[in-house]
Amino acid sequence: MQEKTLALLKNVFKNYYFKHSDKVEVPERIEEREFGYMPFGGGMIRHLAVKTAGELKAMLVKEAPYGVYASSSYYNDPGLPMAEKGWKGGDLVFDIDADDLNMPCKAEHDWWICKTCGNAEVGLRPQNCPSCSNIKIQTLNWACDKCLGASKNEVIKLQEILMRDFSMSEKEITIYFSGNKGYHMNVVSKAWYDMDQRARNEIADYVSGKGLRLETFGFSYNISYTDMLPRLPVIGEPSWRGRFAEFIRSYGDDRGSDSRIKAASIFSKTKPEEFQNVITSTAKQYGSKVDPSVTTDIHRIFRLAGSLHGDSGLSKRRCSNILSFNPMVDAVEIDDGEIEVFVKFCSKFSLKGNTFGPYIKQNVKLPLYAATYLMSKGLAEVSP
Amino acid sequence: MTTVELDAETLAKYPFLHETGDYIRRLQFDISELTKPENAKVVQRAKERVLEAIKKAKVSKETANIEIEILSFPLALVFVRAAGLEHLMSRYAFAEAMRVESFLEREKTSTVALIFYRVTGISPEFLYTKSFEFKIPVTEYLRRATYFHTPEWKLVNRIVDNGYVYVKKLELVRLTREEIKNLIHNRLHTLSSFKTPQEFQPIIEELVKSSPTPIDAGEEITVTPDKYPPCLVRALELLQTGQNVPHYGRFLMATFLLSIGKSVNDIVQLYPKVPDFNEKITRYQVEHIAGLRGGRTRYKVPSCRTLATHNFCFRTQACGTIINPLQFARQKPQEKKVKKKVARKDTSTS
Repeated sequence: MQEKTLALLKNVFKNYYFKHSDKVEVPERIEEREFGYMPFGGGMIRHLAVKTAGELKAMLVKEAPYGVYASSSYYNDPGLPMAEKGWKGGDLVFDIDADDLNMPCKAEHDWWICKTCGNAEVGLRPQNCPSCSNIKIQTLNWACDKCLGASKNEVIKLQEILMRDFSMSEKEITIYFSGNKGYHMNVVSKAWYDMDQRARNEIADYVSGKGLRLETFGFSYNISYTDMLPRLPVIGEPSWRGRFAEFIRSYGDDRGSDSRIKAASIFSKTKPEEFQNVITSTAKQYGSKVDPSVTTDIHRIFRLAGSLHGDSGLSKRRCSNILSFNPMVDAVEIDDGEIEVFVKFCSKFSLKGNTFGPYIKQNVKLPLYAATYLMSKGLAEVSP
Repeated sequence: MTTVELDAETLAKYPFLHETGDYIRRLQFDISELTKPENAKVVQRAKERVLEAIKKAKVSKETANIEIEILSFPLALVFVRAAGLEHLMSRYAFAEAMRVESFLEREKTSTVALIFYRVTGISPEFLYTKSFEFKIPVTEYLRRATYFHTPEWKLVNRIVDNGYVYVKKLELVRLTREEIKNLIHNRLHTLSSFKTPQEFQPIIEELVKSSPTPIDAGEEITVTPDKYPPCLVRALELLQTGQNVPHYGRFLMATFLLSIGKSVNDIVQLYPKVPDFNEKITRYQVEHIAGLRGGRTRYKVPSCRTLATHNFCFRTQACGTIINPLQFARQKPQEKKVKKKVARKDTSTS
């Protein structure tokens, strides 16, 4: 990114924090959290202790960071090195990223750039650059409406599992648009506060259905059909057994028959490795594809709600109604003022209800929010 | 859960309960009296408890003389504490917990629930279904079951409903065993040290001598590339073909290779083909993992379970029952032995 573009972006961010500091959500128990930020130009500054909301907001205006983060954990002394902070507990957090969903539309809107010869094309990253055969290839992942819609669907499934299976209340759960390609979910509850990494690992696996085994659903290759049948799940059972019965009901064409008989029939006609795929499909359909490293890492710092995402210029926004939330409208906080930029390349995109692009190597006059979006992604530079 | 009076027979089975102290006080018994000849059987049983732990990893279910059984438990704790060996403390706690488990397995569900409550402070709720006898809060389940490695204990394979996990009677017994092991282990650590009577010194010396030398878990082992676990092989393959190695793959590679004696340099040199390679950053990260930077914590090789959560477990049959990739190289000779046995059997029957 050119110096001029970097300076402009920093200025846009500074203006936002100056004018809209009220939109930055000050986390509860601020003095027990670790803060960190990434300045424009690279690097990461961590292990900061911030005592008050005023101090936080002053820091944001002064530094105008590329990204700002606060720990989901609480510490005795958050300003000390990690080993000395004294972990007290932490919110339970989940991250759903559109990239991880591997949507078919990725091939239509993701780009790759060869770091050696500069060749750039739309599509999934090839093993080697077709022009120079080099393997050093950078990818540029994009999130379209379909990707963000699919991410939202994962959020809804996650919320349902947390409420139904884990008995978490709607009040304890807060959903945020991440500011770029997905959603974050925070659970603030005394019940879950002191769960260690192992427990958080198990929760991440549970909500995504990872590690489900045949025996959980009553299947066995060592017992007779008659003995196995009563062990199989029926519709209405709680947990993954119930979800499996639901999955089996809608599996194939025969949708009316008894779920146990149908499951047993599929089991007896399918090779073991293929039947495992039926279970994996259940997990995919009913589970939520969360990033396990985020949920399990109790020392991670998490993007601050209301702050701007350096890779998009969009804000991390609280979604009070996930169903009606539209990230490409509701998370656009930058002003409308027009600016001319040189766009290297970009797919068609839509912000604030307006559609832009596709553009390839051209100067374009764009509203500041759209120009910021492209510059943040490294796809545009301030026009000379 | 309502207060229940426990009789001496129950205390003999479960001597770690706080009522044991009351029982001993009622007998107006003092440790100094244990050196008297009339208490030789108590001393003998206490010594036997520890020796059984060392030799069989399980204390026997002796209840012929209730008083001896109750009094010998705290004395055995004194012996183990006086021996001052950490691995003996762990082994003894485990062996006593195994003893309790074999009693509990035969108890009524109400007794199982009561003992669980006594050691955890959590009242399991009765379910009265064919498959499950109890349910316990999911948070309490997670605090305990995450230490078990078999897949049926994974939360995803449990029935989780409305904040509770369903458990069978024998599963609650297993959870209780773990809790008792920790309880006894903690008690051994917090036992106030006092001067052990001189008469017991020969016993303590004998226990120290009988206790096997522990395996040094932190010991550096030599592993040749042909004995690398499949997950590490996968990470190295990705590196060599210039593909992106996910975070946990990189973490595994660094921790594993450091554990088997490779240097930071050796590890950094593996990375240049990675698309986002930056030597300075890679070196910093490997040094951080090696405990040379930041908090100076040397990171351990992640467990197979953690790698599975992060989609970096490529388990094959050769992995057997290992729970950490470092165990892969260690378990191979055993496999070969099994294969040889099978081969011999085949020859003899042909």
